[in-house]
Amino acid sequence: MPTVVLLDSSLSMTRPVSVEGSEEFQRKNLAVHGMTMLFEHMATNYRLEFTSLVAFSSLWELLVPFSRDYNTLQEALNNLEDYDKTCLEAALQGVSNVVQQEWGTSCPCQVVLVTDGALGIGRGSLRHSLQTVKQRVDDKKFPLPFPFPSKLYVMCIANAEELQATDSMDNLEQLINLNGGEGQIYTMEGPLCLKSVQSMFGKLIDQAYSPFHAVLRCGNLTSDVQVFPRPEPVTIDEEVDPIPKTVQTEGDEIGTGATDDTEEETSTNQMAGKSPNFCVLLHGSLKVEGMVALVQLGPDWFGMLYSQADSKKKSNLMMSLFDPGSEPLPWLGRMSQLGPASDAAENPYGEDDSKSPFPIQPKHKRSYAQNVTVWIKASGLQTDVQKILRNAKKLPEKTQTFYKELNRLRKAALAFGFWELLKSVAELLERECTLLPDSAHPDAAFQLSHAAQQLKLASSGDSKYAAFEQNITPMLTDFSGGGGADRI
Amino acid sequence: MRIFSVSHKTAFVVDHCPYMAESSRQLIECDMLTKSRSQGVIPLAPVSKSLWTCAIECSMEYCRILYDVYPTKKLVNYIVSDSEVHILNSWKQENQNTQELMTALAAVGPPNPRQDPECCSVLHGLVAAVESLCKITEYQHESRTTLMDTADRVANRGRIICLTNAKSDTHVRMLEDCVLETIQEQNKRAAGSDRLMPIQQCELVLVHIYPQGEETLVSDRQKKELSSVLSSEVHSVRAGRYLAGKLNVLVQQHFDLASTTITNIPMKEEQHANTSANYDVELLHHRDAHIEFIKTQPSFHCMNTSRDSGLKETVTLKWCTPRTNSVELHYCTGAYRISPVDVNSRPSSCLTNFLLNGRSVLLEQPRKSGSKVISHMLSSHGGEIFLHVLNSTRSTLEDPPSISEGCGGRVTDYRITDFGEFMRENRLTPFPESMVDAACRTPVERAKFQLERHTRYWPMIISQTTIFNMQAVVPLANLIVKDTLTDEDVLTCQKTVYNLVDMERKSDPLPISTAGSRGKGPKRDEQYRIMWNELETLVKAHVGTSERHQRVLDCISACRSKPPEEEERKKRGRKREDKEDKTEKNGKDTEEKGWTTDSERLKGVMEREKDEQSECEIIKDSPDSPEPLNKKPRLATEEQQPPEKSKGPVSLLTLWTNRITQANSRKHQEFAGRLSSVNSKAELYQHLKEENGMDVHENGKATR
Repeated sequence: MPTVVLLDSSLSMTRPVSVEGSEEFQRKNLAVHGMTMLFEHMATNYRLEFTSLVAFSSLWELLVPFSRDYNTLQEALNNLEDYDKTCLEAALQGVSNVVQQEWGTSCPCQVVLVTDGALGIGRGSLRHSLQTVKQRVDDKKFPLPFPFPSKLYVMCIANAEELQATDSMDNLEQLINLNGGEGQIYTMEGPLCLKSVQSMFGKLIDQAYSPFHAVLRCGNLTSDVQVFPRPEPVTIDEEVDPIPKTVQTEGDEIGTGATDDTEEETSTNQMAGKSPNFCVLLHGSLKVEGMVALVQLGPDWFGMLYSQADSKKKSNLMMSLFDPGSEPLPWLGRMSQLGPASDAAENPYGEDDSKSPFPIQPKHKRSYAQNVTVWIKASGLQTDVQKILRNAKKLPEKTQTFYKELNRLRKAALAFGFWELLKSVAELLERECTLLPDSAHPDAAFQLSHAAQQLKLASSGDSKYAAFEQNITPMLTDFSGGGGADRI
Repeated sequence: MRIFSVSHKTAFVVDHCPYMAESSRQLIECDMLTKSRSQGVIPLAPVSKSLWTCAIECSMEYCRILYDVYPTKKLVNYIVSDSEVHILNSWKQENQNTQELMTALAAVGPPNPRQDPECCSVLHGLVAAVESLCKITEYQHESRTTLMDTADRVANRGRIICLTNAKSDTHVRMLEDCVLETIQEQNKRAAGSDRLMPIQQCELVLVHIYPQGEETLVSDRQKKELSSVLSSEVHSVRAGRYLAGKLNVLVQQHFDLASTTITNIPMKEEQHANTSANYDVELLHHRDAHIEFIKTQPSFHCMNTSRDSGLKETVTLKWCTPRTNSVELHYCTGAYRISPVDVNSRPSSCLTNFLLNGRSVLLEQPRKSGSKVISHMLSSHGGEIFLHVLNSTRSTLEDPPSISEGCGGRVTDYRITDFGEFMRENRLTPFPESMVDAACRTPVERAKFQLERHTRYWPMIISQTTIFNMQAVVPLANLIVKDTLTDEDVLTCQKTVYNLVDMERKSDPLPISTAGSRGKGPKRDEQYRIMWNELETLVKAHVGTSERHQRVLDCISACRSKPPEEEERKKRGRKREDKEDKTEKNGKDTEEKGWTTDSERLKGVMEREKDEQSECEIIKDSPDSPEPLNKKPRLATEEQQPPEKSKGPVSLLTLWTNRITQANSRKHQEFAGRLSSVNSKAELYQHLKEENGMDVHENGKATR
C-alpha cells in the first residue's frame, strides 16, 4: 500500500525545543529524525512499497513522487526549506490529487501527516476549514474523506497537553472522523526530544508498517513468505457479520484450477539462500504448467497463487485474494466442495487432459443464453411474427423451424395473456394459405390451416388447448414423409 | 449491498381484476410484410396489448434483469390478485427463474372482463404480499442458524411492487393504509412464530398503469415514510414503453445497477455480408463496475443520456477488436454480471453470443486525445457474462523482484517437472453438496489430507533423491501415497521391489547425483544402499496408513541387500525394533512427523558420505600424498584380509603398501578403534546405536 508523507514546512516547525544538552533542536529536526527512522524501516522491511514526500505551508509541493528509492526520499529530507503558514486543506487536496493521478481511486493509501500541531490561523487554517465544511459547493468539497481507501496518521511533534491547550486536538480528531474514522493521531510523550520522537514513530511502524510474514503450506512442504502489500482485514456485511476478516498467517495451498485475475503479491525475502525453498519450486512448476494454485487464507477466505511475469526475464509468485466468502468465483462453485480429482469416479480432466470440470454451469441459463421472448418494443414482436411468416412461405421444407417459432410465440402470448395476438397470427396464417401459389406443395396448405386452427383454439383460453407446456405439433399428412401412407 | 437489505425480498403484486383487461391503446402493426407484396390484400388490423399484458411483460423484464445480475440471494415472490390470491412461486431459490413464472402466468391467463368487479381487488394481493414478507427465506434461516447467539442481527426487510390501475389518490391512500395495518397485524403474529419474522422495513412501490391517450387519475408521489416500518412511493405511468422504461429505472435503483453502453461494435449487415456497420449495445450491471468514474469525476465526460431508458445515465465504452485469442492475465479488480437491456435485439445477441463462445472484448474509454485507456473487459465464465474492471492506472505491483533473487532462488535442480505432475495429480474438481465421505470430511478437507499424504516424503531437488529419478520406482511411488491399497496394488509394489533387487543383482547403474562432489561418486553397492534407504524412508512415512502399506515395507526389508554382519545385527536388534513398533502404533501423532527426522538423518548421512568421498577423491587425485589406508578396505571385502594370509603371489603394490603402513604406524598413535578391532574390523558409531536403536547399521557404514 503506497504512502504519502505530508510534511508541515511552515515557520512554526522551526520553533526550538528546549533540550538539557548543549545542542539546540528545532521541531523540524525532530520530525526529520522520525521520518528518517520510518524510511529506514521501510527500506529494510518494506522495500517494495511506494512512498512519496509532499511538503506544505500555504502552498504544497511534491518533493519526491512515488518511489521505492528510499535514498532519494532521505536526501529530500536533508534539503528541506522553511516556508510561511500552515494551510492543511489545500495540502490534503494536493495529496488527494497526487494519489489519484498515480494510482486511481481503488488502491488503498496511507497518508502520514507530520506537523507540530499549530494548524494555522484565519482563512486556510484547519479551524476555518472545518467550520465551513458543511457550506461547500460541489466543486470545492473538503478533500476528506479521500476518494480512495485510506488511513490518515497524524504525527504531532508536540505532546498531548500542548495540543489540548488549544483546539488543535479537537480539530485533528474531527479530521480523522471526516475520513470515516480511518486513521489515528500520535503525540509525543514526555519532553520533546529525539527519544520520544523515536518512540512515537516506533508506534506508527508497529501499527501500520509491520511486515506481513506467513507460512505457505502444501501438505508437509512449507515455506516462510512475506507478503507485499500487506493484506488488510476486510469486513463484508457489517450487519450480519461485523467482525473484520483477517488473513491467517498460515496459508494452505489446496490444489489447482485455471483462471485469471490479480490483486496482491507475495515475494520472498532477499536473504540469498542456497537451500531449496518450496516457493521457488511451486513457482517454477506453476509457470511451466500454466496452472494456478488455490490458497486458503482463513475460514471461507481463499486466494490463488500463480507465476506473474512483469518482463520476460523476471517472474515471481503472486497471490490474488478473492472476496471473502464460500463462493468467491461463481464458476468454481462452492470452495468447500472442491475435492481431489482422484476421488471422482471418472477423471474429470480426461485421460489425455482434454477436459475440465470448470467452469461450472449455473443451474439456470441467463436470459441472453436462452432465447427469451421480449415484446416490450414493437420491433421485437414484429420480428417474431415475420420469422413465422418467412418459414410459412417455405413449407414443407421448413416445417420444423416453422413450428418451433410458432410455439415460441404461442408460449409467450399465453404467459403474457396476449390472446389477441394468437388470433391475429392465426388470421395471418389463414390468409397465407389463400395466397399460396398454384405451384406450392399441397402439404403447405394443410400445415398452415392446421397451425391457424391450433392457435385459435389456444386463444380461447380453453385449458385443453392453452396449456403452456404443450406444443403444436406438425400435422401428419399423406405428404409428410410418407408416414400416412404406411399407416393405411 | 447487505445481504438482508430491502432488496433481499421483492413481492410483486399484479392486479388481475377485470379492468386490467382493458386495452393499453398502444397499437402494434404485425402485418408488415404483406403490405408491399400484394396490393389486393387488406392488411390486418393492428393488435394492442391489454394493461395486464403490459404489466406482466414489464415485470418479467424486471425479473429477467434481476436474475441475470443476481442469480442468488435476491428473491422474488410473484402474486396475482383478483377475487382471490394466486401466489405463483415461493422464496425458495429453486423457484427463482423466469421460465417457472411464465408457466404459472400462462395458467392464470388474462383477466376475465366478465368477472364481477365488486369482489375483485388488488387488496387481497397486498395482504398476501405482507404475509409473504414475514415468511423466512432459506438464506435468513441459514444465517440465523449459523449465527446462533447473534441471530437477531438477521434482519427482515422487503419491498412490495404493486402494479395496478387505481381509481384516485384516495384509492391509493386506502391501499397504503391497508398495507400498514396488515404489517402491524402480521408483525404481532410473526413475533410468536419460528418460521415467521416481523417486518422491520418495507418499501411499497405503487405503480399506477393507465391506457395511452387518457388523463391519469393518480398523481406521482416521491418516497414518503408512512411509519417507522413502511415507506411508500407512487408512480403514475402510461402503459406500453413508458411503463417498461419506468420499471427499468426502478430495477436499477432497487438493485444498485448502472448502465454501460458498448459502442462501435462492428457487425456484418444482414443483407450485405461484405459491409459492416457499427452498433451500440447497452448493458446493466452492478454500480461498482463504475466506481472509478463515480469517484473521480462526478460529471464524467462519457456519461450521456441513453435513448432507451429516459433519464438515466450510461457510461459509453468503446469496443476494442480483439487481436488474438491469447490468454492474458490482467490486473482485474472486480467482475460483475451483466444483463443486456434489449436482450433479443440483433446487436445484443451478436455481442452476447460472441462472448459466450469464449472470446473476450477489451473496452476502452473514449477520449479525444491522449493515449488509449483500457478500463474494462467483457468475458464469460461458464455461460455467464461478466464485466471485468481492469486497473487502468499505475499498479503498485509493477516491477516485482525476480523469484531467483529470494530464498532458494539460486538452487537450480528443483524437481519442476515432477512437481508439475504432482500438481496435476492433486487437481481439484467440484463435488455435489450431498457427497460427504465416511469421516464426514468436506471435499476440501479431503484435498488437504491428500496433499499431506502425498508430501510426507517429497524431496524438492533432484540431487536430494535417487528413487524419484528412477523409472523403476514409479509404480510403487505412485501407489504408496494412496489412502487405501488393494491386494493388487501391494503386488505391484512388491514387483517393483523385486525388479530393484534384480537391478542390483545385475549391477545396473543408478541415477545417483554426483552434484557437489567431484569424480564418479559412490560405488555401485553404496548407491544401492542409499537407494534402499530412501525407498524405506518413503514407505515408512506411509506405513501407518494401513496393514497393506506395512506389507510393502516388510517386502522391502526382506528383499533389500545387507552385508551379512548387518543381517546378524538386525536379528539382534529385532526385539528392540518390535518394541519401538508398538510405541509407534500407540502414539500416532509422533509418527506423523516421523519422516522428517528420518529423512533429515538420511540427508545428514548422505552429506557426510559425500564429504568423505570427495575428500578421498581429492587425496587420490593428488599424486604427492599417499593413499590413505582406510581407503583400502572399501574396494572389496576380500582385500580386508591381511595380505600375509592370502594365498598366491603377493603383488608389488601389496608389498609396497605394507611397508608404508608399517612405517606410518610408527609415526602416529594407533586409532582406538583399530586397537580394539576384531579381525581388523571395528564397529563405528557405537554411541549412535545406543541412542537411536537399530537405525544405525542401515546407513551402511557400520562395517568400516
